Amino acid sequence: MTAGLDVVVARSLTKRFRRQVAVDNLDLVVPAGARIGLLGPNGAGKTTTLLMLLGAITPDAGTIDLVGLRLPRHRSKALGRVGFVAGYLPLPENLKVREALTIFAGLYGLRRPSPIVEAAIEKFAIGHLADQQSRELSSGQRTLVSIVKSTLHEPALLVLDEPTASLDPEVARRVRLALLDIHREWGTTLLVTSHNMREVETLCERVVILTHGRIAADGSPSDVAASFDTDDLEEAFLQVAAEARQAGGAEDHPTVHR
Amino acid sequence: MSTVRIRAVMHRHWIVLRRAPHRWFEISFWPVMDVLLWGSLGAFVSQETPDSRAATPYLLAGIVLFWTFTQAQFSIALGVNEETWTRNILNVLTTPVSELEYITGIALFGLLKLALCLATLTVSTIVFFSFDLSSIGWSVIPIMVLLVINGWALAMLVVGLVLRFGQSAEILIWGFNYVLMAFSGVFFPAGALPDGLRSVAEVLPMTKTFAALRAVLDGRPLPWSTLAAALVGSILFFAGAIAFATWLLHVFRRRGFVTRYS
Repeated sequence: MTAGLDVVVARSLTKRFRRQVAVDNLDLVVPAGARIGLLGPNGAGKTTTLLMLLGAITPDAGTIDLVGLRLPRHRSKALGRVGFVAGYLPLPENLKVREALTIFAGLYGLRRPSPIVEAAIEKFAIGHLADQQSRELSSGQRTLVSIVKSTLHEPALLVLDEPTASLDPEVARRVRLALLDIHREWGTTLLVTSHNMREVETLCERVVILTHGRIAADGSPSDVAASFDTDDLEEAFLQVAAEARQAGGAEDHPTVHR
Repeated sequence: MSTVRIRAVMHRHWIVLRRAPHRWFEISFWPVMDVLLWGSLGAFVSQETPDSRAATPYLLAGIVLFWTFTQAQFSIALGVNEETWTRNILNVLTTPVSELEYITGIALFGLLKLALCLATLTVSTIVFFSFDLSSIGWSVIPIMVLLVINGWALAMLVVGLVLRFGQSAEILIWGFNYVLMAFSGVFFPAGALPDGLRSVAEVLPMTKTFAALRAVLDGRPLPWSTLAAALVGSILFFAGAIAFATWLLHVFRRRGFVTRYS
Protein backbone atom coordinates (compact mmCIF):
# COMPACT_ATOMS: atom_id res chain seq x y z
CA MET A 1 0.00 0.00 0.00
CA THR A 2 1.25 3.51 -0.77
CA ALA A 3 -0.94 5.76 1.34
CA GLY A 4 0.02 9.39 0.85
CA LEU A 5 2.44 8.67 -2.02
CA ASP A 6 1.78 9.75 -5.57
CA VAL A 7 2.14 6.53 -7.55
CA VAL A 8 2.84 8.40 -10.78
CA VAL A 9 4.59 11.74 -11.12
CA ALA A 10 5.31 12.54 -14.74
CA ARG A 11 6.77 15.96 -15.57
CA SER A 12 7.22 17.53 -18.99
CA LEU A 13 6.82 14.18 -20.70
CA THR A 14 7.48 14.43 -24.41
CA LYS A 15 7.65 11.83 -27.16
CA ARG A 16 8.05 12.19 -30.90
CA PHE A 17 7.94 9.47 -33.52
CA ARG A 18 9.75 10.85 -36.56
CA ARG A 19 7.96 14.19 -37.07
CA GLN A 20 4.80 13.22 -35.20
CA VAL A 21 4.47 14.56 -31.65
CA ALA A 22 2.72 11.82 -29.72
CA VAL A 23 3.04 13.30 -26.23
CA ASP A 24 3.68 16.99 -25.79
CA ASN A 25 5.16 18.30 -22.53
CA LEU A 26 2.69 16.34 -20.41
CA ASP A 27 2.42 16.68 -16.65
CA LEU A 28 0.50 13.91 -14.92
CA VAL A 29 0.22 13.14 -11.21
CA VAL A 30 -1.69 10.08 -10.03
CA PRO A 31 -2.25 10.00 -6.26
CA ALA A 32 -2.25 6.71 -4.38
CA GLY A 33 -5.64 5.08 -4.24
CA ALA A 34 -7.06 7.08 -7.13
CA ARG A 35 -9.14 5.74 -9.99
CA ILE A 36 -8.22 7.73 -13.07
CA GLY A 37 -9.41 7.44 -16.64
CA LEU A 38 -7.05 8.52 -19.39
CA LEU A 39 -9.23 9.36 -22.36
CA GLY A 40 -8.82 10.79 -25.78
CA PRO A 41 -9.50 10.16 -29.44
CA ASN A 42 -7.33 7.80 -31.46
CA GLY A 43 -3.89 9.34 -31.86
CA ALA A 44 -4.15 11.39 -28.68
CA GLY A 45 -1.11 9.72 -27.06
CA LYS A 46 -2.80 7.54 -24.43
CA THR A 47 -1.01 4.27 -25.15
CA THR A 48 2.31 6.05 -25.70
CA THR A 49 1.91 7.75 -22.32
CA LEU A 50 1.14 4.47 -20.58
CA LEU A 51 4.06 2.67 -22.21
CA MET A 52 6.41 5.47 -21.14
CA LEU A 53 5.12 5.25 -17.58
CA LEU A 54 5.87 1.52 -17.67
CA GLY A 55 9.37 2.00 -19.04
CA ALA A 56 8.67 0.17 -22.29
CA ILE A 57 9.19 3.35 -24.32
CA THR A 58 11.83 5.94 -23.46
CA PRO A 59 10.58 9.54 -23.45
CA ASP A 60 12.46 12.14 -25.44
CA ALA A 61 12.16 14.57 -22.53
CA GLY A 62 10.72 14.72 -19.05
CA THR A 63 10.91 12.64 -15.91
CA ILE A 64 8.85 9.79 -14.54
CA ASP A 65 8.64 8.71 -10.94
CA LEU A 66 6.73 5.46 -10.68
CA VAL A 67 5.66 4.45 -7.15
CA GLY A 68 8.27 6.90 -5.89
CA LEU A 69 11.11 5.47 -7.99
CA ARG A 70 12.79 7.33 -10.85
CA LEU A 71 12.70 5.64 -14.26
CA PRO A 72 14.58 4.16 -16.02
CA ARG A 73 17.20 3.62 -13.32
CA HIS A 74 14.82 1.93 -10.89
CA ARG A 75 12.52 0.42 -13.49
CA SER A 76 12.82 -3.14 -12.23
CA LYS A 77 12.06 -2.24 -8.62
CA ALA A 78 9.18 0.03 -9.62
CA LEU A 79 7.54 -2.59 -11.82
CA GLY A 80 7.50 -4.95 -8.86
CA ARG A 81 4.65 -2.79 -7.58
CA VAL A 82 2.84 -2.21 -10.87
CA GLY A 83 0.58 -4.43 -12.95
CA PHE A 84 -0.35 -3.96 -16.61
CA VAL A 85 -3.36 -5.25 -18.54
CA ALA A 86 -4.18 -4.49 -22.16
CA GLY A 87 -6.97 -5.70 -24.35
CA TYR A 88 -4.48 -6.18 -27.20
CA LEU A 89 -1.97 -8.13 -25.14
CA PRO A 90 -2.46 -11.89 -25.22
CA LEU A 91 -1.00 -14.42 -22.82
CA PRO A 92 1.41 -16.88 -24.45
CA GLU A 93 -0.75 -19.39 -26.28
CA ASN A 94 1.34 -22.40 -25.45
CA LEU A 95 0.94 -22.01 -21.70
CA LYS A 96 -1.91 -23.29 -19.60
CA VAL A 97 -3.53 -20.67 -17.39
CA ARG A 98 -2.06 -22.07 -14.18
CA GLU A 99 1.39 -22.29 -15.79
CA ALA A 100 1.19 -18.72 -17.09
CA LEU A 101 0.15 -17.41 -13.68
CA THR A 102 2.94 -19.36 -11.98
CA ILE A 103 5.54 -18.03 -14.40
CA PHE A 104 4.38 -14.44 -14.08
CA ALA A 105 4.29 -14.77 -10.30
CA GLY A 106 7.95 -15.73 -10.58
CA LEU A 107 8.66 -12.81 -12.93
CA TYR A 108 7.14 -10.54 -10.29
CA GLY A 109 9.65 -12.01 -7.85
CA LEU A 110 7.18 -13.98 -5.72
CA ARG A 111 9.21 -16.70 -4.02
CA ARG A 112 6.46 -19.28 -3.49
CA PRO A 113 4.15 -18.77 -6.45
CA SER A 114 2.00 -21.89 -6.13
CA PRO A 115 -0.12 -20.92 -3.09
CA ILE A 116 -0.45 -17.37 -4.40
CA VAL A 117 -1.61 -18.61 -7.78
CA GLU A 118 -4.11 -21.04 -6.25
CA ALA A 119 -5.48 -18.30 -4.00
CA ALA A 120 -5.84 -15.98 -6.99
CA ILE A 121 -7.58 -18.67 -9.05
CA GLU A 122 -10.06 -19.17 -6.23
CA LYS A 123 -10.51 -15.44 -5.57
CA PHE A 124 -11.35 -14.70 -9.20
CA ALA A 125 -13.32 -17.94 -9.67
CA ILE A 126 -11.33 -19.09 -12.70
CA GLY A 127 -10.72 -22.62 -11.49
CA HIS A 128 -12.52 -24.01 -14.54
CA LEU A 129 -9.94 -22.27 -16.77
CA ALA A 130 -6.81 -23.21 -14.87
CA ASP A 131 -5.86 -26.23 -16.97
CA GLN A 132 -6.81 -24.77 -20.33
CA GLN A 133 -4.27 -23.32 -22.71
CA SER A 134 -4.53 -19.60 -23.32
CA ARG A 135 -5.41 -20.17 -26.99
CA GLU A 136 -8.57 -22.01 -25.89
CA LEU A 137 -9.96 -19.06 -23.91
CA SER A 138 -12.52 -16.54 -25.09
CA SER A 139 -11.62 -12.83 -25.22
CA GLY A 140 -13.37 -12.19 -21.93
CA GLN A 141 -11.67 -15.10 -20.24
CA ARG A 142 -8.26 -13.95 -21.50
CA THR A 143 -8.89 -10.46 -20.15
CA LEU A 144 -9.92 -11.84 -16.78
CA VAL A 145 -6.85 -14.08 -16.64
CA SER A 146 -4.67 -11.09 -17.62
CA ILE A 147 -6.11 -9.14 -14.71
CA VAL A 148 -5.38 -12.05 -12.39
CA LYS A 149 -1.85 -12.27 -13.83
CA SER A 150 -1.24 -8.57 -13.27
CA THR A 151 -2.48 -8.57 -9.68
CA LEU A 152 -0.71 -11.63 -8.26
CA HIS A 153 1.75 -9.34 -6.49
CA GLU A 154 -0.97 -7.02 -5.10
CA PRO A 155 0.34 -4.02 -7.03
CA ALA A 156 0.12 -0.47 -5.80
CA LEU A 157 -0.79 0.63 -9.33
CA LEU A 158 -2.74 -1.23 -11.99
CA VAL A 159 -2.47 0.20 -15.50
CA LEU A 160 -5.15 -0.93 -17.91
CA ASP A 161 -5.15 -0.07 -21.61
CA GLU A 162 -8.64 -0.59 -22.97
CA PRO A 163 -9.21 -3.70 -20.88
CA THR A 164 -12.79 -4.30 -22.00
CA ALA A 165 -12.44 -3.51 -25.70
CA SER A 166 -14.09 -6.30 -27.71
CA LEU A 167 -15.85 -7.74 -24.64
CA ASP A 168 -19.62 -8.17 -24.52
CA PRO A 169 -21.43 -5.99 -21.96
CA GLU A 170 -21.94 -8.76 -19.43
CA VAL A 171 -18.30 -9.81 -19.41
CA ALA A 172 -17.18 -6.18 -19.39
CA ARG A 173 -19.34 -5.60 -16.32
CA ARG A 174 -17.73 -8.56 -14.55
CA VAL A 175 -14.30 -7.19 -15.36
CA ARG A 176 -15.21 -3.74 -14.00
CA LEU A 177 -16.55 -5.27 -10.79
CA ALA A 178 -13.33 -7.26 -10.40
CA LEU A 179 -11.29 -4.08 -10.79
CA LEU A 180 -13.38 -2.23 -8.23
CA ASP A 181 -12.96 -5.17 -5.84
CA ILE A 182 -9.18 -4.98 -6.28
CA HIS A 183 -9.25 -1.26 -5.61
CA ARG A 184 -11.42 -1.70 -2.52
CA GLU A 185 -9.54 -4.63 -1.05
CA TRP A 186 -5.95 -3.58 -1.68
CA GLY A 187 -6.20 0.16 -2.24
CA THR A 188 -4.71 -0.40 -5.68
CA THR A 189 -4.61 2.74 -7.80
CA LEU A 190 -6.29 2.30 -11.18
CA LEU A 191 -5.12 4.10 -14.32
CA VAL A 192 -7.43 3.10 -17.16
CA THR A 193 -7.81 4.04 -20.78
CA SER A 194 -11.10 3.34 -22.41
CA HIS A 195 -13.41 4.50 -25.17
CA ASN A 196 -16.44 3.40 -23.20
CA MET A 197 -17.68 6.45 -21.31
CA ARG A 198 -20.14 4.48 -19.22
CA GLU A 199 -17.27 2.28 -18.09
CA VAL A 200 -15.19 5.35 -17.29
CA GLU A 201 -17.99 6.86 -15.23
CA THR A 202 -18.31 3.59 -13.30
CA LEU A 203 -14.63 2.97 -12.73
CA CYS A 204 -13.11 6.43 -12.46
CA GLU A 205 -13.40 9.30 -10.04
CA ARG A 206 -11.24 11.52 -12.23
CA VAL A 207 -10.72 11.71 -15.97
CA VAL A 208 -7.86 13.18 -17.95
CA ILE A 209 -8.65 13.84 -21.59
CA LEU A 210 -5.72 13.97 -23.97
CA THR A 211 -5.65 15.45 -27.42
CA HIS A 212 -2.56 15.78 -29.59
CA GLY A 213 -0.47 14.60 -26.67
CA ARG A 214 -1.62 17.35 -24.32
CA ILE A 215 -4.17 17.48 -21.53
CA ALA A 216 -7.41 19.06 -22.75
CA ALA A 217 -9.38 18.47 -19.56
CA ASP A 218 -8.75 17.09 -16.10
CA GLY A 219 -11.27 16.59 -13.32
CA SER A 220 -14.17 14.49 -12.15
CA PRO A 221 -16.40 13.15 -14.93
CA SER A 222 -19.15 15.64 -14.07
CA ASP A 223 -16.73 18.58 -13.87
CA VAL A 224 -15.13 17.71 -17.18
CA ALA A 225 -18.52 17.37 -18.83
CA ALA A 226 -19.58 20.74 -17.36
CA SER A 227 -16.48 22.40 -18.76
CA PHE A 228 -17.81 21.49 -22.22
CA ASP A 229 -21.26 22.83 -21.38
CA THR A 230 -22.83 19.40 -21.14
CA ASP A 231 -23.74 16.94 -18.41
CA ASP A 232 -22.73 13.95 -20.53
CA LEU A 233 -19.09 12.84 -20.52
CA GLU A 234 -19.50 11.20 -23.91
CA GLU A 235 -20.70 14.48 -25.39
CA ALA A 236 -17.64 16.21 -23.93
CA PHE A 237 -15.44 13.51 -25.46
CA LEU A 238 -17.10 13.95 -28.86
CA GLN A 239 -16.40 17.67 -28.75
CA VAL A 240 -12.74 17.00 -28.00
CA ALA A 241 -12.60 14.42 -30.80
CA ALA A 242 -14.20 16.84 -33.25
CA GLU A 243 -11.66 19.53 -32.41
CA ALA A 244 -8.86 17.01 -32.76
CA ARG A 245 -10.15 15.93 -36.19
CA GLN A 246 -10.27 19.50 -37.38
CA ALA A 247 -6.72 20.04 -36.23
CA GLY A 248 -5.61 16.70 -37.83
CA GLY A 249 -3.96 13.70 -36.07
CA ALA A 250 -2.63 10.14 -36.57
CA GLU A 251 -4.24 6.96 -35.34
CA ASP A 252 -3.07 6.00 -31.87
CA HIS A 253 -3.02 2.35 -32.76
CA PRO A 254 -0.07 0.51 -31.28
CA THR A 255 1.28 -0.43 -34.71
CA VAL A 256 1.67 3.12 -35.87
CA HIS A 257 4.98 3.61 -34.14
CA ARG A 258 7.66 1.99 -36.28
CA MET B 1 19.73 -10.03 -9.75
CA SER B 2 16.80 -12.13 -8.62
CA THR B 3 17.19 -15.91 -8.77
CA VAL B 4 13.40 -16.18 -8.46
CA ARG B 5 12.91 -14.25 -11.68
CA ILE B 6 15.70 -16.16 -13.44
CA ARG B 7 14.08 -19.45 -12.44
CA ALA B 8 10.73 -18.18 -13.77
CA VAL B 9 12.35 -17.48 -17.15
CA MET B 10 13.87 -20.98 -17.18
CA HIS B 11 10.50 -22.47 -16.23
CA ARG B 12 8.84 -20.59 -19.09
CA HIS B 13 11.26 -21.99 -21.64
CA TRP B 14 11.10 -25.48 -20.22
CA ILE B 15 7.34 -25.48 -20.85
CA VAL B 16 7.90 -24.14 -24.38
CA LEU B 17 10.29 -27.01 -25.06
CA ARG B 18 7.98 -29.63 -23.56
CA ARG B 19 4.95 -28.47 -25.48
CA ALA B 20 6.54 -27.92 -28.90
CA PRO B 21 7.82 -31.16 -30.46
CA HIS B 22 9.44 -29.26 -33.32
CA ARG B 23 11.80 -27.61 -30.85
CA TRP B 24 13.31 -31.01 -30.15
CA PHE B 25 14.50 -31.14 -33.75
CA GLU B 26 17.20 -28.58 -32.89
CA ILE B 27 18.42 -30.76 -30.04
CA SER B 28 18.23 -34.17 -31.66
CA PHE B 29 17.18 -34.58 -35.28
CA TRP B 30 19.25 -31.90 -37.02
CA PRO B 31 22.42 -32.70 -35.04
CA VAL B 32 22.10 -36.40 -35.91
CA MET B 33 21.56 -35.52 -39.57
CA ASP B 34 24.72 -33.43 -39.48
CA VAL B 35 26.64 -36.33 -37.93
CA LEU B 36 25.45 -38.62 -40.71
CA LEU B 37 26.26 -36.07 -43.42
CA TRP B 38 29.71 -35.03 -42.30
CA GLY B 39 30.68 -38.40 -40.90
CA SER B 40 29.76 -40.12 -44.17
CA LEU B 41 31.68 -37.50 -46.11
CA GLY B 42 34.69 -38.12 -43.92
CA ALA B 43 34.37 -41.87 -44.33
CA PHE B 44 34.16 -41.49 -48.12
CA VAL B 45 37.24 -39.26 -48.26
CA SER B 46 39.15 -41.72 -46.07
CA GLN B 47 38.14 -44.59 -48.35
CA GLU B 48 39.15 -42.75 -51.50
CA THR B 49 42.37 -41.33 -50.16
CA PRO B 50 43.70 -43.54 -47.38
CA ASP B 51 46.27 -40.89 -46.44
CA SER B 52 43.39 -38.68 -45.32
CA ARG B 53 42.85 -40.62 -42.13
CA ALA B 54 42.18 -37.36 -40.34
CA ALA B 55 39.10 -36.66 -42.45
CA THR B 56 36.51 -38.43 -40.30
CA PRO B 57 37.80 -37.21 -36.92
CA TYR B 58 38.19 -33.65 -38.23
CA LEU B 59 34.68 -33.60 -39.67
CA LEU B 60 32.93 -35.31 -36.78
CA ALA B 61 34.74 -33.41 -34.04
CA GLY B 62 34.14 -30.24 -36.00
CA ILE B 63 30.41 -30.77 -36.33
CA VAL B 64 29.93 -31.86 -32.72
CA LEU B 65 31.70 -28.76 -31.48
CA PHE B 66 30.04 -26.51 -34.01
CA TRP B 67 26.73 -27.69 -32.58
CA THR B 68 28.05 -26.59 -29.17
CA PHE B 69 28.40 -23.11 -30.58
CA THR B 70 25.05 -23.35 -32.40
CA GLN B 71 23.08 -24.50 -29.35
CA ALA B 72 24.56 -21.70 -27.25
CA GLN B 73 23.52 -19.23 -29.93
CA PHE B 74 20.07 -20.71 -30.50
CA SER B 75 19.25 -20.83 -26.80
CA ILE B 76 19.40 -17.06 -26.48
CA ALA B 77 18.38 -15.97 -29.97
CA LEU B 78 15.41 -18.31 -30.28
CA GLY B 79 14.55 -17.81 -26.62
CA VAL B 80 14.10 -14.07 -27.08
CA ASN B 81 12.30 -14.60 -30.37
CA GLU B 82 9.86 -16.92 -28.63
CA GLU B 83 8.58 -13.81 -26.87
CA THR B 84 8.23 -11.88 -30.13
CA TRP B 85 6.53 -14.80 -31.91
CA THR B 86 3.99 -15.24 -29.11
CA ARG B 87 3.57 -11.45 -28.74
CA ASN B 88 4.60 -11.82 -25.12
CA ILE B 89 7.44 -9.30 -25.19
CA LEU B 90 5.39 -6.42 -23.78
CA ASN B 91 4.11 -8.71 -21.03
CA VAL B 92 7.73 -9.45 -20.10
CA LEU B 93 8.92 -5.84 -20.42
CA THR B 94 6.23 -4.68 -17.98
CA THR B 95 7.37 -7.07 -15.25
CA PRO B 96 10.34 -6.42 -12.96
CA VAL B 97 12.58 -8.92 -14.82
CA SER B 98 15.65 -7.11 -16.10
CA GLU B 99 17.30 -7.80 -19.44
CA LEU B 100 20.28 -9.37 -17.64
CA GLU B 101 18.03 -11.68 -15.62
CA TYR B 102 16.11 -12.68 -18.73
CA ILE B 103 19.22 -13.44 -20.78
CA THR B 104 20.78 -15.30 -17.84
CA GLY B 105 17.65 -17.43 -17.52
CA ILE B 106 17.55 -18.47 -21.14
CA ALA B 107 21.32 -18.94 -21.30
CA LEU B 108 21.25 -21.24 -18.27
CA PHE B 109 18.32 -23.18 -19.71
CA GLY B 110 20.26 -23.31 -22.95
CA LEU B 111 23.08 -25.14 -21.20
CA LEU B 112 20.58 -27.88 -20.37
CA LYS B 113 19.58 -28.11 -24.03
CA LEU B 114 23.27 -28.13 -24.95
CA ALA B 115 23.88 -31.07 -22.64
CA LEU B 116 21.00 -32.98 -24.25
CA CYS B 117 22.30 -32.13 -27.71
CA LEU B 118 25.86 -33.21 -26.88
CA ALA B 119 24.58 -36.48 -25.46
CA THR B 120 22.69 -37.10 -28.72
CA LEU B 121 25.73 -36.21 -30.80
CA THR B 122 28.09 -38.36 -28.75
CA VAL B 123 25.85 -41.40 -28.98
CA SER B 124 25.31 -40.98 -32.72
CA THR B 125 29.02 -40.48 -33.54
CA ILE B 126 29.88 -43.62 -31.55
CA VAL B 127 27.06 -45.72 -32.99
CA PHE B 128 27.49 -44.70 -36.64
CA PHE B 129 31.22 -44.04 -36.93
CA SER B 130 32.86 -45.46 -33.78
CA PHE B 131 34.14 -41.97 -33.01
CA ASP B 132 34.14 -40.81 -29.40
CA LEU B 133 35.03 -37.14 -28.91
CA SER B 134 35.64 -37.67 -25.20
CA SER B 135 38.63 -39.82 -26.14
CA ILE B 136 40.64 -36.62 -26.62
CA GLY B 137 40.20 -36.02 -22.89
CA TRP B 138 39.76 -32.91 -20.83
CA SER B 139 41.24 -30.75 -23.62
CA VAL B 140 37.77 -30.57 -25.12
CA ILE B 141 36.48 -28.58 -22.14
CA PRO B 142 38.25 -25.24 -22.71
CA ILE B 143 37.44 -25.56 -26.41
CA MET B 144 33.74 -26.00 -25.60
CA VAL B 145 33.79 -23.08 -23.18
CA LEU B 146 35.20 -20.81 -25.87
CA LEU B 147 32.56 -21.94 -28.35
CA VAL B 148 29.76 -21.30 -25.85
CA ILE B 149 31.09 -17.77 -25.29
CA ASN B 150 31.13 -17.20 -29.04
CA GLY B 151 27.62 -18.62 -29.37
CA TRP B 152 26.31 -16.29 -26.71
CA ALA B 153 28.08 -13.36 -28.31
CA LEU B 154 26.58 -14.07 -31.73
CA ALA B 155 23.16 -14.48 -30.12
CA MET B 156 23.38 -11.03 -28.54
CA LEU B 157 24.32 -9.58 -31.91
CA VAL B 158 21.32 -11.25 -33.56
CA VAL B 159 18.92 -10.33 -30.75
CA GLY B 160 19.97 -6.70 -31.07
CA LEU B 161 19.38 -6.75 -34.82
CA VAL B 162 15.97 -8.41 -34.44
CA LEU B 163 14.89 -5.84 -31.86
CA ARG B 164 15.96 -3.06 -34.19
CA PHE B 165 14.83 -4.41 -37.55
CA GLY B 166 12.02 -6.75 -36.57
CA GLN B 167 11.09 -10.10 -38.04
CA SER B 168 12.98 -9.52 -41.27
CA ALA B 169 16.21 -9.91 -39.29
CA GLU B 170 15.25 -13.29 -37.85
CA ILE B 171 16.86 -15.12 -40.76
CA LEU B 172 20.19 -14.07 -39.26
CA ILE B 173 19.65 -16.51 -36.40
CA TRP B 174 20.46 -19.29 -38.86
CA GLY B 175 22.24 -17.25 -41.56
CA PHE B 176 25.21 -16.13 -39.45
CA ASN B 177 25.83 -19.73 -38.40
CA TYR B 178 26.41 -20.84 -41.97
CA VAL B 179 28.73 -17.92 -42.64
CA LEU B 180 30.78 -18.74 -39.56
CA MET B 181 30.83 -22.43 -40.45
CA ALA B 182 32.54 -21.53 -43.71
CA PHE B 183 34.96 -18.98 -42.32
CA SER B 184 35.85 -20.36 -38.89
CA GLY B 185 37.87 -23.37 -40.01
CA VAL B 186 35.36 -25.76 -38.45
CA PHE B 187 36.48 -28.68 -40.64
CA PHE B 188 39.73 -27.48 -42.19
CA PRO B 189 42.59 -25.08 -41.53
CA ALA B 190 42.03 -21.46 -42.59
CA GLY B 191 44.77 -21.97 -45.20
CA ALA B 192 42.40 -24.12 -47.23
CA LEU B 193 40.15 -21.13 -47.91
CA PRO B 194 40.53 -19.21 -51.17
CA ASP B 195 43.02 -16.36 -51.26
CA GLY B 196 41.55 -13.16 -49.96
CA LEU B 197 39.17 -14.97 -47.60
CA ARG B 198 41.85 -16.37 -45.33
CA SER B 199 42.31 -12.99 -43.68
CA VAL B 200 38.62 -13.04 -42.71
CA ALA B 201 39.08 -16.41 -41.06
CA GLU B 202 42.22 -15.30 -39.21
CA VAL B 203 40.40 -12.58 -37.25
CA LEU B 204 37.62 -14.86 -36.03
CA PRO B 205 38.27 -16.28 -32.54
CA MET B 206 36.52 -19.54 -33.47
CA THR B 207 39.12 -20.19 -36.16
CA LYS B 208 41.83 -20.45 -33.52
CA THR B 209 39.54 -22.56 -31.34
CA PHE B 210 39.00 -25.14 -34.07
CA ALA B 211 42.71 -25.05 -34.92
CA ALA B 212 43.40 -26.01 -31.29
CA LEU B 213 40.89 -28.85 -31.64
CA ARG B 214 42.67 -30.24 -34.70
CA ALA B 215 46.03 -30.05 -32.94
CA VAL B 216 44.66 -32.27 -30.17
CA LEU B 217 43.06 -34.65 -32.68
CA ASP B 218 46.48 -34.96 -34.33
CA GLY B 219 47.91 -36.13 -31.02
CA ARG B 220 49.70 -32.89 -30.16
CA PRO B 221 49.39 -31.13 -26.79
CA LEU B 222 46.68 -28.54 -26.35
CA PRO B 223 48.15 -25.33 -27.83
CA TRP B 224 47.60 -22.94 -24.94
CA SER B 225 48.93 -19.90 -26.76
CA THR B 226 46.40 -20.49 -29.56
CA LEU B 227 43.64 -20.91 -26.99
CA ALA B 228 44.74 -17.78 -25.17
CA ALA B 229 44.48 -15.79 -28.40
CA ALA B 230 41.05 -17.35 -29.00
CA LEU B 231 40.00 -16.41 -25.46
CA VAL B 232 41.01 -12.78 -25.91
CA GLY B 233 39.18 -12.64 -29.22
CA SER B 234 36.10 -14.32 -27.74
CA ILE B 235 35.96 -11.93 -24.82
CA LEU B 236 36.29 -8.95 -27.15
CA PHE B 237 33.57 -10.40 -29.40
CA PHE B 238 31.31 -10.98 -26.39
CA ALA B 239 31.89 -7.52 -24.95
CA GLY B 240 31.32 -5.92 -28.33
CA ALA B 241 28.14 -7.90 -28.90
CA ILE B 242 26.77 -6.94 -25.47
CA ALA B 243 27.52 -3.27 -26.14
CA PHE B 244 25.90 -3.52 -29.58
CA ALA B 245 22.79 -5.25 -28.23
CA THR B 246 22.50 -2.76 -25.37
CA TRP B 247 22.63 0.12 -27.82
CA LEU B 248 19.98 -1.47 -30.04
CA LEU B 249 17.78 -2.15 -27.02
CA HIS B 250 18.05 1.53 -26.24
CA VAL B 251 16.98 2.28 -29.82
CA PHE B 252 14.15 -0.26 -29.43
CA ARG B 253 12.82 1.62 -26.41
CA ARG B 254 13.42 5.09 -27.81
CA ARG B 255 11.72 4.35 -31.15
CA GLY B 256 8.80 2.56 -29.44
CA PHE B 257 9.37 -0.64 -31.42
CA VAL B 258 7.68 -2.67 -28.70
CA THR B 259 4.38 -1.75 -30.32
CA ARG B 260 5.32 -3.99 -33.27
CA TYR B 261 4.61 -6.95 -31.03
CA SER B 262 1.31 -5.90 -29.51
